[in-house]
Amino acid sequence: MATLQSKQASQSQKLMVFVLTMSLYGLATLFTELIPKFQVGIVEFSVEYFLFIPLVLSILFDPLSAALGAATGELVFSEIMLGQFGGLGELEKFITVTIGVYIAGRLVRDPRNTKMVGIAAFVGTGAQLLMGTIVDICKVQFAVEDFEAVAGLPASVFATEGFAFLNDLLFSGILFCLLPTLFLVPKLYGKIEPLLGMQPRTKETALEGIGVKTAVGCGIAFLCAIAAEMLAESGFELIDWEAGWAESGTAVAVGMVVAAIAAIAVLLVMRKNAETAKVE
Amino acid sequence: MLSKLSESILDKFSMDFLRNQVLKNAYGNDDTVIAVRDPRILLAWYLFFGLVPWFAHDTVFLLGCFVLVMITTVLAQVAGLVLFLFGLGVFSQTGVLLFTTFLFGGDASAIAPLLTLTLKVATVSLASVTVFSGLDPDRLSNGLMWYGCPERLSFSISYAYRMLPMLMEEFQNVLLSYRLRGNPPAHDNFTGKIKYLIYQVKIVIHAFYPLMLNTAKRSRTTVEALEIKGYRYAAVSRDVRRMKLASLKIGYDDLLFAAVSFLWVAVTVLISSMI
Repeated sequence: MATLQSKQASQSQKLMVFVLTMSLYGLATLFTELIPKFQVGIVEFSVEYFLFIPLVLSILFDPLSAALGAATGELVFSEIMLGQFGGLGELEKFITVTIGVYIAGRLVRDPRNTKMVGIAAFVGTGAQLLMGTIVDICKVQFAVEDFEAVAGLPASVFATEGFAFLNDLLFSGILFCLLPTLFLVPKLYGKIEPLLGMQPRTKETALEGIGVKTAVGCGIAFLCAIAAEMLAESGFELIDWEAGWAESGTAVAVGMVVAAIAAIAVLLVMRKNAETAKVE
Repeated sequence: MLSKLSESILDKFSMDFLRNQVLKNAYGNDDTVIAVRDPRILLAWYLFFGLVPWFAHDTVFLLGCFVLVMITTVLAQVAGLVLFLFGLGVFSQTGVLLFTTFLFGGDASAIAPLLTLTLKVATVSLASVTVFSGLDPDRLSNGLMWYGCPERLSFSISYAYRMLPMLMEEFQNVLLSYRLRGNPPAHDNFTGKIKYLIYQVKIVIHAFYPLMLNTAKRSRTTVEALEIKGYRYAAVSRDVRRMKLASLKIGYDDLLFAAVSFLWVAVTVLISSMI
């Protein structure tokens, strides 16, 4: 009974929440990744948003474990398993999903309060989408050379991203996050917690509301997400590929080719030797 | 004719097809040239082809990288669906961007940077398809662990690959049982079709209710079993890590793979510097 009585979840219960969110959200994102989206013009009607799953679980359980589980699940199931791992971009997604879900989970002190659950679901989704939009705009600005010089491109990026944000928030946000969350939280409340050996969250057992510390933490994490993209620009200046090639490029390149050929030759000889040694 | 075509496409996109493709992608090809490479070498290789194209603006260099990762993707025998999704993703993204650029008064000068962007995105994603789709999940998680990734991540990968078939089957069963008991609206005309779509989405969301409860039970069992085996202690223990990673070995073939890739890049650099 000791674990049932304790106010906060124990370490192994946190791991349970992590595994639970990871498998469920991972499965959901796997399907959404596989089902093609249909577009009408540039309006995208995607069923992309299964974010209600981690939202529900973060409202019912420990928010941080649920948030991390959701982000990991998406990363592992839909990105790594399908081989769609996109490097830097995934870091940004990981952080924004974590922050969005975590904020939603911290906002709700009593899951029986439907109004608060609705607000939390909407705020969490909105936060995640907004951060994604900001990072997306930054990404295109850094990836395209002479961004400002191309006529029409900056405006179009802002327009498409802004439009995608509104579209996602109003369409996916309400239909696929708000309504399912409002439907599932009261239904699951008090039923799913005993399965993990916990007590339902009430006003007394809830974590503190969002304080300054949480806000600062989220801010820092978001800065990390942007920094990952900023790294692109500063890294580009540091390495400065083209300038390097322009001066003594050919000589360096010839050296590289010769070194590579030499390495391959040495490796081939070594492998042959190893094979003959094995036979003998 | 048209209805027949759409029917056959819909047939192809059944749940079973998706499941088979995912399983094939995860388990199907563990004997390819890419799959038997040392994960550490492949991850380092990926680090290069996943990062450098973002910083390079030289078209010849980018083209060279693209051709190389294309060859490795072919070698890895990636499942068709994944490649299809890759193509769809790359071209729909930049296609839409191009379209709106024209909308806002851009001209043909916008095409060149966008093509470069497409090339970059394609190279980076193909490199990741090669590594993360071509490698065995266990080898991949071992490789990640060797590079000091948190134990949680490699645990998640191993867990995901083992649990996924079961989870998918369960989800499908729940969905089918809902369908058996449900009464879908008629979908002959347009409004009926929309109603039918809403009905389908509703069923999917409803299906998550039993699935959540089942998975909660299962994850408790999993974690309890892990605790019995001392997982949380093992996760931070150095000895356990060493034992786990002892199976990794770099052979001559792995070094050859790295060297040939290096040669390829060097040659493209040479060509781009001469032009």
